[in-house]
Amino acid sequence: MELLSAVTTWFADPAHWAGPNGVPYRLAQHVGISLASVGIAGAIALPLGLYVGHTGRGQAVAINLANVGRAIPSLAAIALVVPFTQMLDPQLGFFLYPTLIAMIVLAIPPILVNAYAGVAEVDRDLVESARGMGMTEGQILRRVEIPLAVPVIVGGIRSASVQVIATATLGAIYGLGALGGFIVEGVAQRDDGRLFAGVALVALLALGAEGGLGLLQRRLSWSRNP
Amino acid sequence: MRLTRWGALGASLLVLLSACSTGGGTKPTVKIGSDGFYEAKLMAEIYAQALEAKGYTVDRTAIGIGARKVSAPALESGQFDLKPEYIGSGLAFYEPGKQTGDPAANAAELQTVLTGKGGGITVLAYSPAADQNAFVVTKATADKDHLAKMSDLTAMASDLKIGVATDCPTNPVCGKALKDSYGIDVANATLLSACDTPMVQALQGGTIDVGELCSTQPDILVNGWVILEDDKHTQPADNLAPLVRNSLLTALGGDKDAFEKILNDVSAALDTATLTDLGKQVSVDKKDIAAVAKAWLQSKGLVT
Repeated sequence: MELLSAVTTWFADPAHWAGPNGVPYRLAQHVGISLASVGIAGAIALPLGLYVGHTGRGQAVAINLANVGRAIPSLAAIALVVPFTQMLDPQLGFFLYPTLIAMIVLAIPPILVNAYAGVAEVDRDLVESARGMGMTEGQILRRVEIPLAVPVIVGGIRSASVQVIATATLGAIYGLGALGGFIVEGVAQRDDGRLFAGVALVALLALGAEGGLGLLQRRLSWSRNP
Repeated sequence: MRLTRWGALGASLLVLLSACSTGGGTKPTVKIGSDGFYEAKLMAEIYAQALEAKGYTVDRTAIGIGARKVSAPALESGQFDLKPEYIGSGLAFYEPGKQTGDPAANAAELQTVLTGKGGGITVLAYSPAADQNAFVVTKATADKDHLAKMSDLTAMASDLKIGVATDCPTNPVCGKALKDSYGIDVANATLLSACDTPMVQALQGGTIDVGELCSTQPDILVNGWVILEDDKHTQPADNLAPLVRNSLLTALGGDKDAFEKILNDVSAALDTATLTDLGKQVSVDKKDIAAVAKAWLQSKGLVT
């Protein structure tokens, strides 16, 4: 109860809604870095996953690449790239790029694996029929495989998004701010209101992404399987 | 006649007893303990070897037993007798916010607190060596802007990129002290974990100009960085001092003064730069703590 009142008091303070350390700004930062990293990860992983799924070539490479990505702790990834990105830009190369890169690395595996598995699991008889009808390889991918694999592909984007939203909080350790800023400062300043306000915001955002993309996933499944 | 014989026996026994209490054979074993990180363990080892060189038997079981939450009650309950302590943080453990920028005041206040703990604990003389908050710049920045002390920052405070501890804005000895004493506003400072890797990396890569580190952090030595002198004494003084249980000092009897002198001589011979170097040998060069302690004690002629 004490914790709940600490959090509601914290949210009620208008000072916590203003400026670059306020809720709206940091929420926008968090949404921004999450969208950017999932977007870039998708641009890399989707074509790769579709290619591997369609051709069956390079499966081992793709799966191992994905597993390496999963095995790197995000905090270590951030710390490792900092010295290099700082050379590009001493400011953004410290506050933004390392976390962005670490989140891309985190988001690639689920997107890649789901795109690959979704396409690979399409009934081979359907693919052969399409080929028999005279479809080109590109047409088979676009008109047969992708439409059937779409729920699985969106599922990958969904789990990548939830992971990124939760993990992007680490960026605060490198001064990024975003919603992790409330958590890191809350711990250091022994301010439970601030800490759990940050936790609640991250949880709400993650649940929102999970729910929204889940809904999209279901809609796409229904439309293909009425 | 019989009475005199007994008297003679009693007298000779007394002579024997007093001879024992000042002789080498009955010096009590000194149980030394410390916090768990390398610098605390190193200090404990230095005091241990200095005592051994003067004929004391030392029990090292409690060296590195854990953070103050563990080591302070262990000292109070007599699980060990001697602990190297940081007088500012040690005081803050019992009375948060009481620590000041004046080491003498911190030591005196800590003594007041510890007199009532665990049957009495004595704070011996504190060393010039201190592991405390330090504001650090690179050599290049120091040369370019002619920086030597914190006051030098006041003129350039408005366009200064400074990295401070995450708790700084709400910590009176940080945010308020920097504003009041040096005119530095931490509202736009970069908040990072002080004395930690992100702060070091931020300073290394030029993300910040000034970073809050710990004064004996090996990174300062490794990178050749410059500590800006806290000329208005805003940061809590965290000099090292041995804490000794009064029960041990009483048991030492006539050796008490000599015992205290051994420890005080060691403390006096150490300074912050030396402690940084010794700590670097342990944490960066991965040298054995006992070997590092021995080499330094020998260089100072404190052990042979």
